[in-house]
Amino acid sequence: MGRPLKTIDGHAMLGDETYLSLRPAELLRRMDAAGVDLAIARPMGAGLVVDHRAGNDLVLTAGPRIRGLASVNPWWGPAALEELLRCRDQGAVGMFLDPLRQGFFPTESIVAPLLERAAQYGWPVMIRTGAYIFADVLAVVEIARRFPSVAFIAGFGGYADMWFEMSEAIGSVGNLYLDASMLWGDGIDEIVRRHGAARVLFGSAEPRNRYRVCLRTLDRLELSDAERDAIYYGNAERLFHL
Amino acid sequence: MTRILDFHAHLDERWLHVRCDTPAHAVDALDRFEVEAACVFTIMGFYEDCRPHNDALLRRADEFPDRLIPFATVDPKQGRAAVEELQRCLANPRFRGVKFHPWLQAFAPNMLRDTMLEILHVAAQHRAPVLFHDGTPPYSTTYQIAELARWSPETTVVLGHAGSADYVNPAAELIRDLPNLYGCFCGPRPGDLVHLVEVGGAEKILFGSDFGAAGWRLLPERIDNVLEAGLDPRDLDNVLYANAARLLKLDEHPLPPGTQTSSEAGR
Repeated sequence: MGRPLKTIDGHAMLGDETYLSLRPAELLRRMDAAGVDLAIARPMGAGLVVDHRAGNDLVLTAGPRIRGLASVNPWWGPAALEELLRCRDQGAVGMFLDPLRQGFFPTESIVAPLLERAAQYGWPVMIRTGAYIFADVLAVVEIARRFPSVAFIAGFGGYADMWFEMSEAIGSVGNLYLDASMLWGDGIDEIVRRHGAARVLFGSAEPRNRYRVCLRTLDRLELSDAERDAIYYGNAERLFHL
Repeated sequence: MTRILDFHAHLDERWLHVRCDTPAHAVDALDRFEVEAACVFTIMGFYEDCRPHNDALLRRADEFPDRLIPFATVDPKQGRAAVEELQRCLANPRFRGVKFHPWLQAFAPNMLRDTMLEILHVAAQHRAPVLFHDGTPPYSTTYQIAELARWSPETTVVLGHAGSADYVNPAAELIRDLPNLYGCFCGPRPGDLVHLVEVGGAEKILFGSDFGAAGWRLLPERIDNVLEAGLDPRDLDNVLYANAARLLKLDEHPLPPGTQTSSEAGR
């Protein structure tokens, strides 16, 4: 079993958040060490929660091998939409929302204008999932039903204690995908077997997780070559229009 | 490579409708990944009458007494009967610790303060560590579990997931601040472990896998989470083996000799 033709990390994080810190140069070093060709990064910390311009600039100017997801707080209102426009012009390939850190339920009315904008731009929307308040997996399913033209990615895959919702959630709507960066192998395997490899993206959650952990987790699954190609890069190329 | 002792694993026939590994299969996985022994807990005993599940766990663990270390559980909602069941279990030296899963067992420690104090006291008398699931509201937040360590400073209390997904930073600070509070690194990721060791101290973090609640793959994944944190050799040994061996008093009370290998058990 060899490595696929290429590897795209669907979820890395740049910035500073509590005890985590990662800059583009260090992410590139880790990518090189792991044989990762391209990473999709989103801001963390203040750049995610309050200082969107700085956070988005960090991920959007990180160089050709790091592509950025724009993040805005829905409570910003019209200013959030202006920031999304600015990010699109700088080459953002999608949107990232963290309901827990940014303080909203995905189903709240303040979120709808952002999702309409994502649909207009053809962006996938990654939403952090796994916490019971705000970042509820089933709340993401609800907005996936309301916005069927938008691809939603369950960031962190319900980690930790909403993992048992993920497989049914992905089965209940056709436009929800798994970010495999934090889910354990058996959980990923169940989704591949029940719903197909087209619904799963390789991700690292660097710097919280490590490339080597995530790659070895996937390596232990008995994936066909086609499944590996889809998970390691094919699905990311399709969803992020790379 | 340092020695490995898994402080958080499960050994039961099933989890709800899903069948779990047999003792022989569990030990086979320990062999494959060079894990010397594992502390094993019930699963269905968190949902049902504890006493028969404690007995069943002991029978399963006794198939490999040199590898599987049973922890008892009791239902504190039963009041005095829970304390008596704990005394019954800990009178058997095979039980080396106590496990609670307040989320699944449907209690918040504050709801049952008097009983929990008695339970913590009994555990302290037997020098048995008490491991709690943590990181999950509404009954198992890391703060809720840390309160138990404050109530009973003579009892060794272990955060079963060292904060899990969202409570890692509080866990690190509470482990640092409370001498009798430890963290089982079971679920968080390498970047979290670096922080737990820096703040909480390498002598207070123990490796755990949760293996047995899911399939064999979880064991190497969780070992990878430790190995990829880049700890220095001494800290790595503390986390993977030495701290658990100390809490289990393996120097004073070594595990009994085994009677069979996993292949002899007919896996």
